[in-house]
Amino acid sequence: MSLENLKAAEDKLAQIVKRYPNKRSALMPALYLGQEAVGYVSAEVISWVATKIGVSSAEVKEVATFYTMYQQKPVGKYHLQVCRTLSCHLAGAKPLVNFLKEKLAVDAHQVTADGLFSYEEVECLGSCGTGPVVQINDVYFERMDSEKLASLLERIKTELPDLRYSTLKDELGVGLADMPRSQLVNLKEGKHGAS
Amino acid sequence: MAHHKILTENVHYADQHEIGRYEERGGYQAIRRILNSDPLSIMEEVKTSGLRGRGGAGFPTGMKWSFVPRNTGKPIYLLCNADESEPGTFKDRLLLERDSHLLLEGMMIAAYALGSHWTAIYIRGEYAHPAACLAKAINEAYQRGYLGQGIFGSDYGLDIVLHRGAGAYICGEETGLIESLEGYRGQPRLKPPFPAVVGLYDCPTVVNNVETLAALPWIIKNGAAAYAQIGTEKSKGTKLMSVSGHVKNPGVYEIDLGYPLLDFINNECGGVREGHSLKAVIAGGSSVPVLRADELAGVLLDYESLKTAGTMLGSGGMIVLDDSTDMVEVVANLQHFYSHESCGQCTPCREGGHWVEKVVKRIYEGQGFPTDLMLLDSVCSQIAGHTICPFGDALVTPVLSFIKKFRNEFDEKIMAALDRHLV
Amino acid sequence: MSEETKQVMVTVTIDGQEKLVPQGSNLIEAARQANITIPHYCYHKHLSIAGNCRMCQVKIEGQPKLTIACNTTVTEGMKVSTHHTSAEVAEAQRATLEFLLINHPLDCTVCDQAGQCKLQDYFYQYDIQPSRFTEHKEHKMKATPLGPEVIYDAERCIVCTRCVRFCKEVTKSAELGVFQRGDRSYIGVVQGAELNNPLSGTVADLCPVGALTHRRWRFNTRIWNTTITSTVCAGCSNGCNCEVAVRDNQVVQVKGKLTSQGNKGWMCDEGRYGFMRFEPERRLAKPMRWNGSTYELVKSEQIVTAIKTALFALKANSKAALFLSPYLTKEELAAALDYAQKAFQLAATSEQISLSPRPRAVSELEAILIASDYAPNIQAACALNMVEQSSDWRTGLNERYLRLLKEVKDGKYAAVCIIGDYAINADQIDAALVVAVRGAEFSLQLGVREDEVLGSEELAKGTPAIAKFVLPALTVNERSGIFINRLGREQKIKQLLTAPDEAKSEADWLKSLAE
Repeated sequence: MSLENLKAAEDKLAQIVKRYPNKRSALMPALYLGQEAVGYVSAEVISWVATKIGVSSAEVKEVATFYTMYQQKPVGKYHLQVCRTLSCHLAGAKPLVNFLKEKLAVDAHQVTADGLFSYEEVECLGSCGTGPVVQINDVYFERMDSEKLASLLERIKTELPDLRYSTLKDELGVGLADMPRSQLVNLKEGKHGAS
Repeated sequence: MAHHKILTENVHYADQHEIGRYEERGGYQAIRRILNSDPLSIMEEVKTSGLRGRGGAGFPTGMKWSFVPRNTGKPIYLLCNADESEPGTFKDRLLLERDSHLLLEGMMIAAYALGSHWTAIYIRGEYAHPAACLAKAINEAYQRGYLGQGIFGSDYGLDIVLHRGAGAYICGEETGLIESLEGYRGQPRLKPPFPAVVGLYDCPTVVNNVETLAALPWIIKNGAAAYAQIGTEKSKGTKLMSVSGHVKNPGVYEIDLGYPLLDFINNECGGVREGHSLKAVIAGGSSVPVLRADELAGVLLDYESLKTAGTMLGSGGMIVLDDSTDMVEVVANLQHFYSHESCGQCTPCREGGHWVEKVVKRIYEGQGFPTDLMLLDSVCSQIAGHTICPFGDALVTPVLSFIKKFRNEFDEKIMAALDRHLV
Repeated sequence: MSEETKQVMVTVTIDGQEKLVPQGSNLIEAARQANITIPHYCYHKHLSIAGNCRMCQVKIEGQPKLTIACNTTVTEGMKVSTHHTSAEVAEAQRATLEFLLINHPLDCTVCDQAGQCKLQDYFYQYDIQPSRFTEHKEHKMKATPLGPEVIYDAERCIVCTRCVRFCKEVTKSAELGVFQRGDRSYIGVVQGAELNNPLSGTVADLCPVGALTHRRWRFNTRIWNTTITSTVCAGCSNGCNCEVAVRDNQVVQVKGKLTSQGNKGWMCDEGRYGFMRFEPERRLAKPMRWNGSTYELVKSEQIVTAIKTALFALKANSKAALFLSPYLTKEELAAALDYAQKAFQLAATSEQISLSPRPRAVSELEAILIASDYAPNIQAACALNMVEQSSDWRTGLNERYLRLLKEVKDGKYAAVCIIGDYAINADQIDAALVVAVRGAEFSLQLGVREDEVLGSEELAKGTPAIAKFVLPALTVNERSGIFINRLGREQKIKQLLTAPDEAKSEADWLKSLAE
């Protein structure tokens, strides 16, 4: 299945390569495409990218392991990333991690038995004014607390929303119906409501 | 005080990201106006405006452009740094999500002034929603002929490519960004050579921050003189401040440079939380020295005043700390960030950064020794200035400045630990 | 005019010494010319500048911060202070060492690099004080094979990336990469791949610490118990410069040597690990004589007389064929030609004297270091006027060798001399040749092998004993003299191993035979 998905990504990669003056620049997008197809950057994805870009697999792995968003092992269908850096920390990030550990009954980077969830602590996500933030796949859920997170998990379980950024389509998944995709606001103006 | 709305005039419109709305509100006028003029005159205009880089360094934008050699026969590249990842900073995200076309127009102006025909926006990977907004905006611009061959019916061709990072703070450093865009690990390059001469694909390259580029349409429309009238003598124009931490109203604010820091916190941001008092402020992102509350009187939010106060305006990522804050905890938190984000390329940062993190963590956890602060001072002094990129300096700043300003809190933790050691 | 004098020179002052150095030099090379060593790990003259170890920091007058010497090009009037004259530089160097050692396992007692380790050396030179690091060290993977020849210890690694750059820039095979980031960085190969290019062992030489070591030489010996000799690899006519460590008459380590020209410090695996291939398992230690059914041992004085007598008994104008070993030094080749003249009245140019160039096919990657003339000293044939220099002199030599071999088998020669090991390729020796050589009126062989049975595996290693008279000569590792490499450069190979008592160089034997 994954191999077929990779084939689907090949046309897109060919388009992406054309955007750049130099083919090697398409390496990171290619890794995203591979990850989108397989779910994580497997050895198979690395070798696919190496072949497509025309570099050695070691060179691809150098890049893939440098960046935290390329998952080096399988993650849950919904991967929760809790920002732990200062502003979110001050706003209460740690209780969220403790909550997830207890609720999901797995350690960070482990996947729940149903394959649905995994979590990790990550560094500053640029949501400092609306922290604590939990990034689930590619969507930010801001001003979180344990209660909100609990109900969010329940909704995700039942609705199974698309929360991924697709490099294939250059689009972010539609997410949960009534959830804003960004809560970034300028409170001073008051009228700068959520989109 | 009423502040000028140069960057945020339209961000409150929910439909501002659509190209039609953007144009109705005066968008894409500035680029149309300059397409027949001399690119060098645009550069002069930007120089005159006094616009300085808003990513953190505050280097004059026009001067940065003037370092680019135009006669090498090589292409010139303009790159937009949208890797916003300095803790406490989320100002660019506002523009990227809300007014994507403003950035695109700013890039068109800069690219035209530089003679660049291929440009890219390097956006941090986590900014998926802003990336989707930009992808849509770029698509719209291509469809209308605002990008591609002969933009706006001129004979000037321009491409803008959106390039997503994938989780690495260091890619905000301009040569790390270039390496990443070229498809490598985002490890900063040795300088010299500088990117203005040897940058992307070894060609002359300018890297400008989102906020810097987004100011250009206003400057072109209203004139450099109008821009230069805002702010102070050396810090001209407006600045986006992103405020987080213990204030009532965290968020992004556009202020005229030179605005008093305390007024800003109290009047704009609503002051600190009820029942608490202000303890300290990190004014420009986690990598600038902290200021104690008692040092803030008379300090203005501009490059010079903050420098005089012993800190920097940086990215404008302000983190406000009230009296409930454990300063050792703050440093332990930040050092974890820095050691996680060290690219690991050069020795002092890779090894020293983690050493510092471990010592600070030990002090925070009540296992400190009286010699630890001296040790930290010595280790930090051998990291700062000895690394390939400014990350080394950034990582020691919180440690050194918090110890300097809140020495008693570190001492207390260590003395308490010492009592336990003695038992 | 030499290369250097043609260059534009600039004046730099290093630690107070004014020095004229070539424009474009970096500071490490410039300081070398002033006999000042600027310590470094990641810098290598023939690799790209990485600038990551920060060991080579210096103070340049007029610059606010310390600067790395490797990435600094000298300019006219530049004034530089190294650790010798700047306390700030010395302190930065000390700190760099302290940083490099905080997570290092300090397992020198079991590390093959001990004694030749830059971490050790520099620590004793520039730091030498207890570490202030009291935290837990980061643990990483140990003893991880990267390929057939090289093994990796991530805890000892300082991520200088010399090995990675070598595989990207020189072999262009890019098997190695830096994986992960920060202090979790390590060097590795991807799953299912290995470091197996023809120059793979070079990365262990390049490693300034004990992270990469040669698998086959692990835990062999401490380097200070060996004798290290600078010599030239006899693996092919490229003549790579190297340093060979010997203990108990055994080669225990071979490292490429960085010289001003030539192999840049690189070595191919075939040459490096092939040093012992010249050594037969059973060494011919005494002269032997074929008695018609087997070899019997003869004393040296007796056999010289016997050979002289046999030669004297040879009819005048008997035709002789001489096969010379491609591993003879220039001096030994000259002695062999002298013998051919005195014993058989053959001139150096004679078609009856053969020296095989041993042509070899080389892949693109092998061609970085391996020459298609496998015979290391074939250029000496030109220097000694054995062939006329022409575009196809190699082909001529090879054809001459094959023709002579066939003619000997056909019984066309009354006298056959095989001078030196590998003078006839083992795989070209068959029963017919043995019968022909032993059946000739006079046959003399100088070599190192006592084998007489065809078909043994040992055969592949050299020329077995097939002549009537067999004298114990020297292996390549036992001789010293001049080799001329493919570019015509005369280089001295040096004796590494001690030969058995009665074994003598071909030149020595031939001189006493010609008296």
